[in-house]
Amino acid sequence: MDVLIQIVASGLTLGAMYAVATIGLSLVYGSLNMLNMAHGAILTLGGYICYAAIVHAGLHPALALLAAALVCALVGLLIYFSAALPLLRAENFETNIFIATIGIGSVIENLMLKGFGPYPIPQPLAVGGQVVIGNVHVPLQNVFILGVAIVLMVAVAILLQRTSTGRAIRATSMNREAAQLMGVRVGRVYAQVLALSGALAAVSGIMISSIATLTPVMGGDPMLKAFIVCVVAGLGNVYGAVIAAIALGLLEAATQYVLGVRWSFATLLLLVILVLIWRPYGLFGKQQVVRL
Amino acid sequence: MKRSSKLTTPNVIAGSRRNFLIKGGLATAATLTGMPAMLFAMNNEARAEGDPIPVGQCGPTTDFAAPDGIEFKNGLTLACEEINALGGILGRPLEPSFEDTAQMGDATNVQAAQRLVDRHGVHAILNGYNIGSGAAIQEVAADNGIIYVHYDTTIGHNNLVKSNPDRYWGSFQGDPAEYWYGPGFLKFLQQLEENGEWKRKNNKMAVILSAGVYASNIANAVKEQAKSYGWDISLFETVSVPASEWGPTLAKIRQDPPAVICITHFLPADLGQFALQFASNPTPSLIYMQYGPSIPAFRDIAKQAANGIIYATVVGALQDDIGTAFEKRYKEKFGPNAGHNSGAQPYDGAYVWATAAALAGGTGEPGNNDQNRKVAARMSAMIWRGVTGTTRFMPLENAAYTYPTQVNDSSLGMPHQFLQIQDYTKGPGLIAPAPYGTTKFMMPPWIKA
Repeated sequence: MDVLIQIVASGLTLGAMYAVATIGLSLVYGSLNMLNMAHGAILTLGGYICYAAIVHAGLHPALALLAAALVCALVGLLIYFSAALPLLRAENFETNIFIATIGIGSVIENLMLKGFGPYPIPQPLAVGGQVVIGNVHVPLQNVFILGVAIVLMVAVAILLQRTSTGRAIRATSMNREAAQLMGVRVGRVYAQVLALSGALAAVSGIMISSIATLTPVMGGDPMLKAFIVCVVAGLGNVYGAVIAAIALGLLEAATQYVLGVRWSFATLLLLVILVLIWRPYGLFGKQQVVRL
Repeated sequence: MKRSSKLTTPNVIAGSRRNFLIKGGLATAATLTGMPAMLFAMNNEARAEGDPIPVGQCGPTTDFAAPDGIEFKNGLTLACEEINALGGILGRPLEPSFEDTAQMGDATNVQAAQRLVDRHGVHAILNGYNIGSGAAIQEVAADNGIIYVHYDTTIGHNNLVKSNPDRYWGSFQGDPAEYWYGPGFLKFLQQLEENGEWKRKNNKMAVILSAGVYASNIANAVKEQAKSYGWDISLFETVSVPASEWGPTLAKIRQDPPAVICITHFLPADLGQFALQFASNPTPSLIYMQYGPSIPAFRDIAKQAANGIIYATVVGALQDDIGTAFEKRYKEKFGPNAGHNSGAQPYDGAYVWATAAALAGGTGEPGNNDQNRKVAARMSAMIWRGVTGTTRFMPLENAAYTYPTQVNDSSLGMPHQFLQIQDYTKGPGLIAPAPYGTTKFMMPPWIKA
């Protein structure tokens, strides 16, 4: 029984980490058809800003979290003005922005290396203590991360479904030209989504670094896992992404115990292949029919 | 004749040479009573005013190994400054150049090394480590007839040099191969038991490794020889990197508690998380880790959970007069959190090469195989006592001997150091091997007597 509890606890922890990393990435892809490869670097930046705000500026952790979200939202805006806006006017936006954001991510990563140094740093914004279930000790921080992932998912859902901004985002995601003809200011939608995604990435970075520690390259692994989750869920489906993230976390933990840790990533990739064969548009994605 | 006080780059001598040596603090008494005194004597009062000798380093100054890569750069920088203060190599100052190897794939490593030759014409490449096959940059050194000193800590180097000593004469591994971690660890446990400092509760040992040549080779060496020391490998688990969630692995350990947990994965953040998650519900197992705990960040992350953990290194600054004097100089120059253990590697490597070059009558530019062969011959014959202990190269393999597993004379091999974190707010204690140990083994707090 303890083993089962441990697998569920580890699975939920992994799933929650993947979910918080995935929400921002999925939102940008779903809304803008733009794969933001700088997402991992922004996520890391959020973690560092929070650390600096608490340790160096002496801010309260809640204010530090807000400061990190604000800075990363500004970085999102910067990406919009420096890369997305000029590239929107050119052909092959999806491919060009993919390459451009790889470069932006690399610049951010190297600036963090220069600014904060290469050594791993523990994230000061963390919840102490643990709950004991059976003989299994589950850190409260892990439970906190799961809670944050669910809150973010609900907040994004409300934004998309219940607000005029959300309607504009959804309209742009369905058909950019048609939305523009209906009076939606597409440029503003792009800017809003990138800023929101930046803020979400900051929160993700803080959560992930609280159990994985801060390093300038820490965003790489969550970015990769977030991409896998997005593909399995269906690119752009925020709710599906959270459910898929938690399911994949549970699968990974079970694989680690039953088959061994070395098989867990291979199993995830195998699952992606199977999903792409069975449902190329993802588990929660919708099939698109293009009429010629 | 009055000497000009204006020097060629790097200008490190302020005022008179004697004043600098006495007051400058760079070359302290420990430095000059050690082996650098030999270089100083050979320079025969010459000042480093001649044509600079270009030397290079290609290391991971960005990406995941940047914490070490930056220290490697610091280590070579400090060594060059000190050597120049001692008169350089027969009056010629060293001028270092650096190239980044980022993720350290063989292709990147080779390109970086070749750039050092093409752009800067380096006479020697003086590296820390690059993860890769450990047998690629040797090709650049061989093709260009230059000296290459590195601390890749890989048996791949030994095998490569042994395969064709006439081609790889200029490549030296300044420390023992990683293989020696395995038998060295088993021998360390045996000595703990013989000394009555620790008693195994059963014969089970869990080995946890990550997928990589370095961690695998060490884990396999432990696995191969465990039987001969009376151990059964009860778990042999390969983890993915990064590994922040250790729950499933710990569940297996808790189901069948071993007497020893040997972790050959080395990233400090991952190991810190292991320590934290283990501490919440520990098993009475001795924990041995690889390398990661030597980085101060490990103690910052694990905090109290770090107390009692043992780790080892086959190359690190000793906690003796020479080692601690080096640590002091290093931290004064690069800051209190600088990792002098990593910097010590190219630091010692640079001194070994520079002294050998002075003995050989100077260095050789790329293509000057004859002169560099003389330097290599002097390196092979040298027994160098540096900040990491003794460097003495194995004939035909050009890799350092390890003490006490390979040689039983502490003056003839580099000490395989075992350290224990006993108070996470302070540095680790060196518990073995004799005569270098400074602290006694402490029973980890989670093991009841």
